[in-house]
Amino acid sequence: MTTLAVNGMKREVQAPADTPLLYVLRNDLELSGPQFGCGMAQCGACSVLLNGKEVRSCITTLGSAAGKEITTLEGLSARWAQQKGLSGADAAKTLHPVQAAWIEEQTPLCGFCQNGMMIKATELLEHNASPTVSEIKDAFTSGISPHLCRCGSYTAIIQSVQRAAASMAKRSEA
Amino acid sequence: MSKTDVFGASLSRRGFVQAGGALLAGFALAGKSASANVLNPARPESWIEIHEDNTILMRTGKSDFGQGTIFTAYRQIVAEELSAPFAAITTVVSGDTDRTPDGGGTFDLLGGGMPNVRKASAYVFQALLDLASKHLPVPKDQLSVKDGVVSGGGKSVSYGDLVKGQKLNLTIPVKGDLNSMFGLTVDGNPPLKPVSQYTVIGQSFPNSAIISKVTAKETWVTDVRLPGMLHARVVHPKSLGSKLISAGTLDKTRFPHSQVVVKGNLVGVVAPTEWEAIKAAQQVASGTKWTEWKGLPGDQRLFQFLKEDADWKNAPVAASKTNKGDVPAAIASSPKKLTATYQLPFLKHAPIGPTMAVADVRSDGTVHVYTHTQNPQALRTGIAFMLSTSVDNVVVRTFAGAGHYGRSNGGNAGAEDEAVILSQAVGKPVRVQWMRPDDLQWSTQSSAALSDVRLSLDAQGSLSGYEISHYMPAMQDDRLVGALLAGLPTIPAPNEKGSIFGIANGMNDPWVYDATPAVLERAYGTGQVGQTSSPINVGLRDHSMRTPGQYQQNFPRELAMTEAAVLGGKDPLQFRIQHAREKRLLGVLESVRDNSGWNTRPARVSDGISRGQGVAVMFRAGTYWACVAHIAVNPASGVIKVEKITVAVDPGIVINPAQLKRQVEGGAVMGVSMALLEELRFDESGITSNDWRSYPILTMADVPEIKVVLVNNPEVGSYGQGSEAANALSAPAIAGALLDATGKAARRLPLKPEYIKALLA
Repeated sequence: MTTLAVNGMKREVQAPADTPLLYVLRNDLELSGPQFGCGMAQCGACSVLLNGKEVRSCITTLGSAAGKEITTLEGLSARWAQQKGLSGADAAKTLHPVQAAWIEEQTPLCGFCQNGMMIKATELLEHNASPTVSEIKDAFTSGISPHLCRCGSYTAIIQSVQRAAASMAKRSEA
Repeated sequence: MSKTDVFGASLSRRGFVQAGGALLAGFALAGKSASANVLNPARPESWIEIHEDNTILMRTGKSDFGQGTIFTAYRQIVAEELSAPFAAITTVVSGDTDRTPDGGGTFDLLGGGMPNVRKASAYVFQALLDLASKHLPVPKDQLSVKDGVVSGGGKSVSYGDLVKGQKLNLTIPVKGDLNSMFGLTVDGNPPLKPVSQYTVIGQSFPNSAIISKVTAKETWVTDVRLPGMLHARVVHPKSLGSKLISAGTLDKTRFPHSQVVVKGNLVGVVAPTEWEAIKAAQQVASGTKWTEWKGLPGDQRLFQFLKEDADWKNAPVAASKTNKGDVPAAIASSPKKLTATYQLPFLKHAPIGPTMAVADVRSDGTVHVYTHTQNPQALRTGIAFMLSTSVDNVVVRTFAGAGHYGRSNGGNAGAEDEAVILSQAVGKPVRVQWMRPDDLQWSTQSSAALSDVRLSLDAQGSLSGYEISHYMPAMQDDRLVGALLAGLPTIPAPNEKGSIFGIANGMNDPWVYDATPAVLERAYGTGQVGQTSSPINVGLRDHSMRTPGQYQQNFPRELAMTEAAVLGGKDPLQFRIQHAREKRLLGVLESVRDNSGWNTRPARVSDGISRGQGVAVMFRAGTYWACVAHIAVNPASGVIKVEKITVAVDPGIVINPAQLKRQVEGGAVMGVSMALLEELRFDESGITSNDWRSYPILTMADVPEIKVVLVNNPEVGSYGQGSEAANALSAPAIAGALLDATGKAARRLPLKPEYIKALLA
């Protein structure tokens, strides 16, 4: 039995320690955010935040994730609410600014890669409140591999990150 | 039961009800019962339902593949024809074979301006007017409708009140075959709303599916879980022509719950958990023995093979309808001439998520398939044929998934038939997920092509003669690959008798330079590379992909046009304007010129970097396109950086500007990727591109600035098709820009650094 901390909740999982975290999140915990894209950490569709750092859950083992704080797409809103100290009712109706921007900009086409894109954007904006286009491009293409989108939504993603940054800055002033 | 004729449709009242009154618009087909489409005949299969609470439900057999058309443009079209608010359409049911009426595929979604949902809505609108005319009562021609409320003679009634307490059925005439690739088409000619009165079409409504995807509320195909479901992986053959000698033995001490299934040359491994299935399949694969096969030319010899070895004489030659004049004579008498050959490699659709499906073959003989397909009815037909059972026993349910750009428009995306075969073998629901190498190596490819061009210029530098011969292997193989491996029945291969599309090539890129006096365009087809010599009848199977066949023909034509302009000392954009006559083509050319910063001037070189601009145009399915690429190339390294892509598109009526803009951006990015990077690698046995390193696609680091100019042209009176077709424009514009920057024509794609470096050396 392995205990995981997923989106602020303790979850018990019965699976071999070498199981990739992706299959645990999807099949055991029935989360639909992270997607299987390549299984080789080459695309980013499976990304989650592990202690606030974007990792590829397809090559992260269950054993190595134990005891660390895991945030999936499902947990982004609660993460934002906690960071902003929002109470229950306010928290429940608040979307993470990254998700809100993705909707406002109508970013996804098929949307299969967008889990990883939003996870990466969240990680980026938690470290750099106001990234330039060049910093956004760098964030999405450095690390273990670039985040890939086959539908070609990169332009929309850049615009969405900028929109999310502006929205987060506005809320910080308020 | 009373019956009224509504422009050839038939409105009947089937009784009165206490609650839940509605008007349901279904269909009638001679010789077939309306329930032939459903396992449960009690389930409605109407196109449109008008409910007494003023909500509207719409159904379509098409499924959304990321363009959002089903959730935006289709809704707008229905709301417009019904003169109802967009928001009144609260439910969209799509793609499921047991819950939708018309079948057909996710291609040509806007149906030449007349998709089924438009005509169905037009019939419903007339039926509602008839009901209102009786209800108010006011003669039909004195009624007006706004936001779902009918008014006349100083009185008014909402659609909801018209159907309240009643059970109304509208039977709409249809033609076609539900279970074919093309499905049913609504027949007849109901009156349509005049374009001048459009209020819903033209607005940027958001795509409702985006909210559920962004907030992790969408049920993706990857989320389908059935009770007792097993996970499976398939051990695909060693080559595209290998037969099974012996399947590896499962190590039961390591994988006590796993099971190997062998049927013909299909080897599957099923297990209760996904991780065990993966590891067990790897272990079985390592011990599985296959025959050797080396029946492919290999990517290095591909174009030599196509030129010298492939048989182009077996298929009818397609000639363009716009051919005219005496081309050999025109070329012979002209002072300037150009002869060139252009080459395009095989491409992959390369969905970000590999194909996966869940199948449940039940003991009662019914088959339930859960997948992400562009053509659920055609898949249903293929699965029934494979199992030698009736289509009535098969249901296909569709879910959101990774877009795959045409790969499943004839039915299968890849994993469905294997899931069915394995489920039947083990008697439980089975989920087959292809791994990344399976998806690149065992799916179909977008056809490679080559084209020979001869053209000439007169003394003024105008095009005097143009001849092009296109060569492309068959492009539409919809056989189920699992069925092929298992030795089960499939539809014919393109080269086999009874194939829908055959091996003939078509003229897919309409000629647009009307001022040219002599034009000769022809297209030649052949069978798929390596298919007939493959002992398992596989080889390099091909399938249509975004802008299919037209991309392969537009690149050579447009680059040749740029080369012709340069040969005559003309500006390539002005050269196109000079040869065009169609107003809409001139419109997009002028628009892209004015919006891209096109500037007639000598190429600029600074710090060893050359910069250039290039242009390309296309006419496709009612839509005119023009594209300008601005690039920078480093001759020392051969690296091309695309700095800016500007696209002007005139589809006639723009249905949803915001959605169209995003689609065009996406298409343009895919086009840059195809131009610079994409090429299927294969050796004599099979495909060697097996991951994102060996089949690279564009990353965000290299995405250019993209500017999209929408030319809304309501005068056209209709909306054109193929919003994603921008993918075809980038390559010829980029190659044109390279010619501008360096004076060299790169006639082979992709424009990889080693090729460009050698070209410029």
